[in-house]
Amino acid sequence: MNLTFYNDEATWLHRLDPRTKIGGVLLIFVICLCFNHPLFITVILTGVLAIFTTAKSIKVLWKLRFLLVLLFVFSVVLWPFFIKGKTILFQWHGLEVSSESLLYGFAMGLRLMTFVSAGLLLLATTKNEEITNGLIRLGIPYPVAFALATAIRLAPTFADAGTTIVQAQVSRGLDLDSKNIFGRFKRFAPLAIPIFISAMRYTNFLAMALESKGFQPDAPRTSYYEPQITGRDWLVLGFLTLTLAACLYMRLSLHWGIIISGRL
Amino acid sequence: MQHALLMWKNTRMIVLTAVCAAIYAATLIAFKTVVPIIPGVTEVRVAGVFPMTFGFLFGPAGAWGLAIGNVIGDIFGGTLSPVSIAGFIGNFLMGYLPYTLWSTLIPVSNGTYAWDAKSVRNWLTYIVIAFISGAAAAVVIGAFADAIGMVPYSIISKIITINNFIGSLIGILLLIAVFDVTKNQLRLFWPEVMDVSAANTGMKASLGAWLVAAGCILGVFGGFVPGLSWTVVSWLATCLVIGGSLLL
Repeated sequence: MNLTFYNDEATWLHRLDPRTKIGGVLLIFVICLCFNHPLFITVILTGVLAIFTTAKSIKVLWKLRFLLVLLFVFSVVLWPFFIKGKTILFQWHGLEVSSESLLYGFAMGLRLMTFVSAGLLLLATTKNEEITNGLIRLGIPYPVAFALATAIRLAPTFADAGTTIVQAQVSRGLDLDSKNIFGRFKRFAPLAIPIFISAMRYTNFLAMALESKGFQPDAPRTSYYEPQITGRDWLVLGFLTLTLAACLYMRLSLHWGIIISGRL
Repeated sequence: MQHALLMWKNTRMIVLTAVCAAIYAATLIAFKTVVPIIPGVTEVRVAGVFPMTFGFLFGPAGAWGLAIGNVIGDIFGGTLSPVSIAGFIGNFLMGYLPYTLWSTLIPVSNGTYAWDAKSVRNWLTYIVIAFISGAAAAVVIGAFADAIGMVPYSIISKIITINNFIGSLIGILLLIAVFDVTKNQLRLFWPEVMDVSAANTGMKASLGAWLVAAGCILGVFGGFVPGLSWTVVSWLATCLVIGGSLLL
């Protein structure tokens, strides 16, 4: 199991402080929520893709192309049946689709693609330990960040242990390739027991190792990796904040970018 | 809620949180794309066998572990989005409610914090709490996912409830199998690790338990009442679930 989307390049985005990148992604999320018109969200998505290109990380996005297409298609198909609009395109047994609801479905599909792309942008340009460091510096308590970092490190270990257990059982005749989803689900439960027990034994070893080294959750800490916020970080955050302010103005004062009023 | 905050001072509970998060995340990622139900939002969650067991055995460490594990699952499954925040809260509730409701949901519960596989009442308590915790997560995640235009509440709330509930029902096999080993051999049963009493029998806690239960029933079935919109139902139910949880 490969737990990273990090793409090692030396671009301006890779050099930003992790706090800037986390804050920036949150700002992009909020900017996306300002409009529900597909045209406006297309502009935002294009902006995110342009940043991907400058970060030389478009190949990371390409890995998730099927997920992105699925997200888009699902929204376009689903939302028109749940939103009422004025211009009815067709009606059938109580179901109706309007041009407004169809456009809203398109907009939501594009919004989901933008959300996933923006999240991926953070992961493609920031190492796992930088994300943890950024979270601590943003005020997340150290024990929580420690649990997060340890979990990220342990997950592949447990996944490998799980694979070994599954392979051992399959070699003894366990059928996990049946087409019945619920059958597979049910057969997984007994396999979870040895995975669970081996993980719990590990808990005791790790806790003893930490305690023997004087680990104290509340103790003040210094860090080997200490990134600094530079002018470039302020520039990026300032630009995104201004963009957000402009988007809020367009939505709230000019009423632009709205297909269905009363919804984000 | 007091234990959920106090546990961060206990090294063993912090490690348990990390281990629970790692198991949950590894299972979520491994099965994320196997059978998607709503791409990017939910899938057939094989990891659903863990929340009730983690919540009951490890209490607050299980709750935080599920919340963190779900975020890791979202990050490395490639589906990090604003709904991940609601996912964090929802999955926390899936681990938080099993140990807080176990002794407070009277008369379903008998007021003690213990598991006995031979007791029919214990099984009934497990099934009721499995439904409530699954529905509570569904209500919170659904309300948020609908608000930001990800997926309609009326669909997602039912899918997540059923998905979580089925997972928890199968997960009872896991609890039966590991309860004795975890409590008596590994000595990782959370009231003993934290050296606290797990049973909470105060009036405030019982009120909280029933507010959460009412919120879940409203959230799953309320939209079928004529004149009530799913949007109103989703936010009212979310308020009841979160308000009730804070009282526990």
